[in-house]
Amino acid sequence: MKVIEIKNLVKIYNGSEIEVKAVNGIDLNFEEGEFAAIVGPSGSGKTTFLNMLGGLDRPTSGEVNIGGINIWGLSSRKLIDFRMNNIGFVFQAYNLIPVLTAGENIELIMHLQGRPKKEREERTKELLDAVGLIDRLKSRPNKLSGGQQQRVAVARALASKPKFILADEPTANLDSKSTTGLLDIMAEMNRKYNTTFIFATHDKRVMDKAKRIVTIDDGKVVEDKWQ
Amino acid sequence: MMTYFKIAWRNLWRNKRRTLITSASIFFGVFFAIFMSSVQQGTMQNMVDNMVSFYTGYLQIQEEQFNENRSINNSFIPNEYLINSINSHNAITQYAQRLESFALAASELNSFGSMILGIQPEKEDAISGLSKWIIKGNFITPGSKDVLLGKVLAENLKLVLNDTVVLIGQGYHGVSAAGKYRVAGLLDFPLAELSRQVVYMDISNCQELFSLPGHLTSIVLMVSNPDEVQGAATLINQDLPDELRIYRWDELQPELVNLIEGKLASGKIIKGLLFMIIGFGVWGTIIMLMSERKRELGVLIALGMRKTRLTIMIIIESAYIGILGILLGVVVSLPLVWHLFINPLRVGGKIGETYTKMGFEPIIAFSMQPEVFYSPAITIFIMFAIISIYEIWYIAKLKAVIALRA
Ligand SMILES: Nc1ncnc2c1ncn2[C@@H]1O[C@H](COP(=O)(O)OP(=O)(O)OP(=O)(O)O)[C@@H](O)[C@H]1O
Ligand SMILES: [Mg+2]
Repeated sequence: MKVIEIKNLVKIYNGSEIEVKAVNGIDLNFEEGEFAAIVGPSGSGKTTFLNMLGGLDRPTSGEVNIGGINIWGLSSRKLIDFRMNNIGFVFQAYNLIPVLTAGENIELIMHLQGRPKKEREERTKELLDAVGLIDRLKSRPNKLSGGQQQRVAVARALASKPKFILADEPTANLDSKSTTGLLDIMAEMNRKYNTTFIFATHDKRVMDKAKRIVTIDDGKVVEDKWQ
Repeated sequence: MMTYFKIAWRNLWRNKRRTLITSASIFFGVFFAIFMSSVQQGTMQNMVDNMVSFYTGYLQIQEEQFNENRSINNSFIPNEYLINSINSHNAITQYAQRLESFALAASELNSFGSMILGIQPEKEDAISGLSKWIIKGNFITPGSKDVLLGKVLAENLKLVLNDTVVLIGQGYHGVSAAGKYRVAGLLDFPLAELSRQVVYMDISNCQELFSLPGHLTSIVLMVSNPDEVQGAATLINQDLPDELRIYRWDELQPELVNLIEGKLASGKIIKGLLFMIIGFGVWGTIIMLMSERKRELGVLIALGMRKTRLTIMIIIESAYIGILGILLGVVVSLPLVWHLFINPLRVGGKIGETYTKMGFEPIIAFSMQPEVFYSPAITIFIMFAIISIYEIWYIAKLKAVIALRA
């Protein structure tokens, strides 16, 4: 089933001197359960692309259809609610809210969705268990390692039962052991819940785990291969 | 589990020192404003009370010329209708008739100009507590032929208790007025001016002296509560004959009113400046706090927290800072002000003398009026309301992408 349908997506930044075509006409589709890496040199437009997919950055032109809805046609308030219910995010760093414990960070999004307390608590435990951090339920982020924080972020991204998860260089700040750990967990979650993962990365190890690799250069897709 | 209040509360303590310093600045402002308002209000109220009870009363009925020209020729005979009217109004708790004029008070050695006050001893005492200022001798009784002298006047005349004082003046329409009176008591007022000038006697005795049987220069009216002054004045005014007028205390003492208004205005300016400085300080804190958390706020928006909710969370947090400061300010100042309200500060030395010379009790009184406490709180509230506009604006323009990329 097609989850995301991208049509002729363009993003032009009008800087003070020059205009940058960060994303220059991308057409792509993603199916349910994909585990895809967006790769490409620095400045090629990966982050810009993901942000437009995630409803965070408005495209200059083109469409992003998620489950048949053109997300950039929604009002900004509807878009926020749409993000909450359909898209999970794992950012490169500073993912977690520092004043909330690992458990509360995961619970927060379900709280925003208005899920009942019992469900929230059960799912929080289940997800933390799945990422191997059930014993850190009550730890604040500053008591967790970078890798552990990213695992909590993955758990949080899954908490809202999104259609897909976007991760922008989730391993960039991690050592190789933590990277492997995080990747294993993401792959496991992908298998277990059949959640679509799309991540931007430079990291060779991340690419190796991906089932599909989309290579971008100069804002254009130059290669799209399955492995 | 985590309501916005909880998140806001935890955020509050992320930077303990900053929160405490900011709250302390609000505390200081509230404390200072309460203290200053209390002493100002207290001093003013004290002045007014002094003036009202010693002298003007809250309201006075006079012949319409008398306020301009304090001559006994501008006296009047109250009709029964008026007295009934006064008696019938509940707001008026007490009233007393006075006949007031000037005369020369003389002893064998000396003479001084003095103010002669013909009073209804019991009623006057009920209004002004006159008898409590007696330092020697006794207060006069209704119908008494004796007089009470201000202590300084007696000293100047070199008179002691039971000596005779001679009063020489002008009666109604130039008739000469003279009489000899036994000094029954000496009065020592905190208002030195009065002690130097006054001679009190029973009103009928005074009417006789000035050949003005039944005449008054004023009827002094008291109300239970200063707020009722205007209402009572309006009511009485309806029953006044044409030649009489009713005055409020502030109409009788315009200089005092000016003084009070001037002081209150300067106090407001000082407090205004203080709160402005504090307000900019708090604003600075909020600016820092928001820009430090830009990324985090961006994450929350990306995750799906609506901006209205985010704004509420931030406003709750800044409200905590404000409430903390206000509570501390009120809690600390309340017992202090209460203590000073019960035990006003006595002013000694030169300053005290100046007070006395100016006609005021030499005390620094404090007020416990509720507005002393709630008006700084309201000011702080308004301050935070203004600052929250910044918070609303900041979050409204915040874009998750920019926050995340920053
Ligand atoms: N806010 C912006 N204003 C102007 N230009 C921008 C802005 N954000 C990104 N760009 C430009 O757009 C292009 C694509 O940037 P983007 O961040 O998407 O690249 P990337 O592939 O994620 O790079 P990296 O691998 O270094 O993260 C770059 O040339 C960048 O300079
Ligand atoms: Mg990038």
